[in-house]
Amino acid sequence: MSDETDGGYEFGNGVPIEPIEAGSTVLVAGPALSRAEDLVRSMVADGTETGDGMLFVSTNQSCEKLLDSCRRLQPSFDTDRAGVIDCTGQDLAESQFDLRVRSISTQSDLTGIGMRFSALYESLYADAVDGRVRTGLVSLSSLSMYVDMRALFRFVQTLSGRIDSADGLGLFSIDPTTHDTKTVNTISQVADGRIEVREPESSDADGEVRVRGLRDQPDGWQPFTLP
Amino acid sequence: MPSHRILCVDPDEDAREDTVEQLRTELTEFDPVFETAATLDDAKAVVSTDLAAVVTEYDLADGTGLELVTAVRDTAPDAGCILYTDAAPDAIGTDELRGTITEYVGKGSVFGTERLARLLQTTVEGKAQASYPLPQNERKRLATLQSYDLDDRALLDSLDRITDLAATHFSVDRASINIISEHSQDFLACYGGANEWDTMDRQDSICTFTIVEDDDVLAVEDVTEDPRFESRSDTLLDMGIRAYLGANLVTRSGLVIGPLCVYDDEPRSFSAADEAYLRDLATVAMDVIELHARLDDGVETDGGDL
Repeated sequence: MSDETDGGYEFGNGVPIEPIEAGSTVLVAGPALSRAEDLVRSMVADGTETGDGMLFVSTNQSCEKLLDSCRRLQPSFDTDRAGVIDCTGQDLAESQFDLRVRSISTQSDLTGIGMRFSALYESLYADAVDGRVRTGLVSLSSLSMYVDMRALFRFVQTLSGRIDSADGLGLFSIDPTTHDTKTVNTISQVADGRIEVREPESSDADGEVRVRGLRDQPDGWQPFTLP
Repeated sequence: MPSHRILCVDPDEDAREDTVEQLRTELTEFDPVFETAATLDDAKAVVSTDLAAVVTEYDLADGTGLELVTAVRDTAPDAGCILYTDAAPDAIGTDELRGTITEYVGKGSVFGTERLARLLQTTVEGKAQASYPLPQNERKRLATLQSYDLDDRALLDSLDRITDLAATHFSVDRASINIISEHSQDFLACYGGANEWDTMDRQDSICTFTIVEDDDVLAVEDVTEDPRFESRSDTLLDMGIRAYLGANLVTRSGLVIGPLCVYDDEPRSFSAADEAYLRDLATVAMDVIELHARLDDGVETDGGDL
C-alpha cells in the first residue's frame, strides 16, 4: 500500500470516509430508508479496486440478489475474490455453485455461520493481495430477531477478533430504530468505531454519514453518493 | 500477568504433539502452558474455570469437538474455543448449538499453525468469545486489582458500613461492593440478603457491564426487560434482584475495580440524585481502600481507624 493511506482500507469517490485502519471493525448504523446497508455492500465491493478479498454475511438478500447489488454498486466487481454466507434460508441457484458461497438454513445457527465465516475467510485471505479481506455483515438487526442479545454479542465479538487477528476490515450494519439503545450501545463496544447514516437533506446525495471513534475522519455529517 | 492454560485435543498423538510444538514456537512471548488430551472424556476432566482456550479436532473417539466446546462453555464460559480440524464446516452439524460460538481453522490451511497461533492469541487476550464487553484497559485493571490487599478485616468492616448506608438510603434489603476479577464477580462487602451470595461467573453478573459504563453508573429498572440481562433474569430474580443501581469504584489512576450496588426485588427507577448519591458513596469506598493500601505500604499517617 502507499504511504498515503498507511495500509488503511480505501473507499470509492462517492463515500466521504478516509481509509480505515486495518484490523478495525466498524458498526454502520442507519434506519431502513437511509441506505446504510447499501453503503456497507458498496464499501466492501470497493475492495475490487485494491485486490482485497470481499466476504459477505447476508441475512436479507439471497446470494444472487447480493451479487447483483454488488455489480450495481461496483461495476467491475470481482466475484473471484468474493465469498458469501447466505443466511436467507433459500436454496442456492445452480449458477452460484462455482462461487465461494455457503448457505445456512437458519439465522439462529450462529455456530454454523461463524464456522463458515472462518473457513471462507481463510480461503479469501489466501488469494487476496497482502491477505487483505473486507467483511460486510448485513444485518445484525436481522440476526437479533433469532438470538438473544448476549449470544449476538459473543458472535460479533468473535468475528471482530478474527478480523483483528488478520488485519481485515469489518463493516456490520445495524438499524438502531429497531433496537433498544442498550443493545446498540453494548454491540458498539465491540466495534472500533461507528458510521452513522441518515437520509440526505438535499436530493443530490443518497444519504449522509457521520463517523465516530475512528481516527483522521471528517467531522460532522457528510453527504455520500452510491452508483 | 499469569500464564495462559491452553488445552489441545487430538486423537492422533503425532498431530497433537506437532500442534503443541508449533504453537509453542509461534507464541513464545504469550507464555502459554499447554495440556493435551486424546479423548473427549480426558479433555473434559481437565477443563476448569481458569482454562484460557481449547484447540480441538472435531472427530474424537468418544464424541466430537463440539461436545467438548459445549462442556467448556459450562465450566469455563470465557475460554476461547477453536476447532482445528480436517472436517469441513459443512460436514459439522451445528443446528442445535445456537449461541455456542467456536472458531474454525482447517488443518489444510496453507498458513499452517501461524494463523492458528495468531488467532489463538487474539482470542485469548481479547476474550473474543466472551459474552460481555471488556474495559479497554483490562490487563492493567486486573493488575491493579491484584495489588490491593482486600482481605483486611478492618477494611472490610469499613466497607460493610458503606453498604449499610447505601441500603438504608435506598430502603432496600440488599447492597454490596463487588470486585470484578478475570473470570468472576466476588462480593467484598455485603448488606442483608447479599451476605448469602457466593462468587458468580463474570458473564452472569450485571456489574461486568457497570464497569464499562462511561459515566461510571448503571441503572437497571427491571432485569426482565433489559436485553443485556433478560436471558439470565431467572437467576437474578432468584437472588432477589429485579432492579439494580451500581456506581463504580475508580482508582486515582482511573481504573475500575468494581461497583457499589443496591438491589431491589421490585421494578424501580432511579433519579439523577440517586445516581449522584451512590457515586459519592462509591468514591468514599475507593478512598477507604486506597488509604488502607497506603497504610500497608508504610506511608506515614496519623494512624487510627478509618
